[in-house]
Amino acid sequence: MEKMKLKLLYSDLRPELEMIEKELEQAVDSKSLLLNDASLHLLQAGGKRIRPVFVLLAGKFGDYNIDVMKRVAVPLELIHMASLVHDDVIDESEIRRGRPTVKAQWNNSVAMYTGDFILARALERITEIESPRIHEILSKTLIEVCRGEIIQIKDKHKLDQNLRDYFRRIKRKTALLISSSCELGALVSGTDEKTAAHLRRFGYFIGMSFQIIDDILDFTSTDEELGKPAGSDFIQGNITLPILCARKDPEIYTMLKANLNKDLTDEERLMIVNTIRNSSAIEEAKAMSERYLEKALRELSFLPKGRAVKTMRKIAFFIGKRNF
Amino acid sequence: MNGHQIQSKIISMGIEVINAVRQRTLDQYTEGPSVKESRLFFLLLPFFDGKNWSPEIEASAKTVSIVYAALHAHDQVREDAPIIKEQQLTVLAGDLYSGIYYQMLVNTKNIAMVQQLASAIIQVSEKKTSFFEGRVRPLEEVEEAINIIETELLMAFYNYYGFTEYAPLAKQALLYIRYADELERLQAKDYTHALLELNANLVHEIYTEHWLLEKLDSLHRQISASIAECSLDYEVENFLLHQITPHQHRAEQLTREG
Repeated sequence: MEKMKLKLLYSDLRPELEMIEKELEQAVDSKSLLLNDASLHLLQAGGKRIRPVFVLLAGKFGDYNIDVMKRVAVPLELIHMASLVHDDVIDESEIRRGRPTVKAQWNNSVAMYTGDFILARALERITEIESPRIHEILSKTLIEVCRGEIIQIKDKHKLDQNLRDYFRRIKRKTALLISSSCELGALVSGTDEKTAAHLRRFGYFIGMSFQIIDDILDFTSTDEELGKPAGSDFIQGNITLPILCARKDPEIYTMLKANLNKDLTDEERLMIVNTIRNSSAIEEAKAMSERYLEKALRELSFLPKGRAVKTMRKIAFFIGKRNF
Repeated sequence: MNGHQIQSKIISMGIEVINAVRQRTLDQYTEGPSVKESRLFFLLLPFFDGKNWSPEIEASAKTVSIVYAALHAHDQVREDAPIIKEQQLTVLAGDLYSGIYYQMLVNTKNIAMVQQLASAIIQVSEKKTSFFEGRVRPLEEVEEAINIIETELLMAFYNYYGFTEYAPLAKQALLYIRYADELERLQAKDYTHALLELNANLVHEIYTEHWLLEKLDSLHRQISASIAECSLDYEVENFLLHQITPHQHRAEQLTREG
């Protein structure tokens, strides 16, 4: 439902996004029947396609040509898809977007090769663009995203980490790829450097806000809404912003510490989820997301007014206020 | 170039590859990048054979080695549940190495090579997945899959830089090494996906063993012929035959003993 609402926000881009969708299907076409099935399975599960949307919107500030824009939009979504299929192995996720994950439908090995295949398709496509700058940004982003995930695993179950560690982690995990989508969209359409920088920063701030909201929703949504148990982040040992805010209360800190890194019963899990929900942590985390949102909106104020800014603003508000 | 110099060059390139992908957490929890001497030897073979060898080519050779390491890391991901930290980081090690190979080629402005390697990875991934399709294929198809998996990345490098004269020899030798490894695993009853398919295809593992031994004999003969065709320097030939593909498995051995 929420995904549909989001898609309505960028309904102006519908013809272009339909084209991107077809290109994505073509991109994952493979001689291997199994790889074909696994990739299409992933693709047909849908998604917000937020990265292609930001590429296209950023392109509206320059010399917009969909045939050029799609050369960046498609690979960026493919890169995101490749990381999801590997993440599901790392997180042992059985369900994504209401469908069995590739690892659950087939196995870990098929998931690994599907991810490798999709990433290679992304690189094969993006190398049609010769600009070294595009590749410098993208390759750096890929590396930083991986480093962010490595740090996330290293920092698992560490309740005593500081806020800076968390922000650095989500920057790499989420914000960078959105930020790069905006910047690459701008650069490939030939905008000036200043515009590209504002768009990059907009993407970064919106990405930070998006991830904080995601981390909040892990506690405030129901199992049905999430398609996985609420509190999954805590179960997996991922220390997110609501936990970092809640731990300031010594009683909650002790309770969290006692339950980290252990197999929780459903009752224990719900007790933790409710404790976080009823603490001030959710409001504090929301306030931080709000701050990033404001910064994102500020970046938009430097850009030439028009439909693209309007849509970006609407998406930003939606991300900040979404409740699923 | 004598055997000692060949060995030194391989070792120093191996160290450079490892250093290029080093990451503290991965060093601590994973087995680290797999950098095989045999692959380094064939990446460096044009250099050993006196071909024009620029810093760009050397940098590309390193990135091919990094791609092999990336794909190898993903081969090490098992089906165990719950997944342990080492395995989670092995997934990410492969992804990180992929990012690094891309960045290294971008830094040398070699975007065309990124495309070559991406195309090779697509083929390798397709062939690796083919072992999970659950169908018994003709042996030629299994061989073709193994061939692509072992050699396609190296072939992309040879094709791009015009070193195709070494392709037949490299293919034969890398296949020899793979089949020798499969044979050892078969004898240790450590069944790989390839062995499971060969066993299903050949009905019984004793026939798989025989098939592998015959393959090794045949490849050994082909390697000798290809060495002669490439007119390799004596030291390079010697290094290849004794260090890279020493012929230890002979079909007649099985007949005699069994």
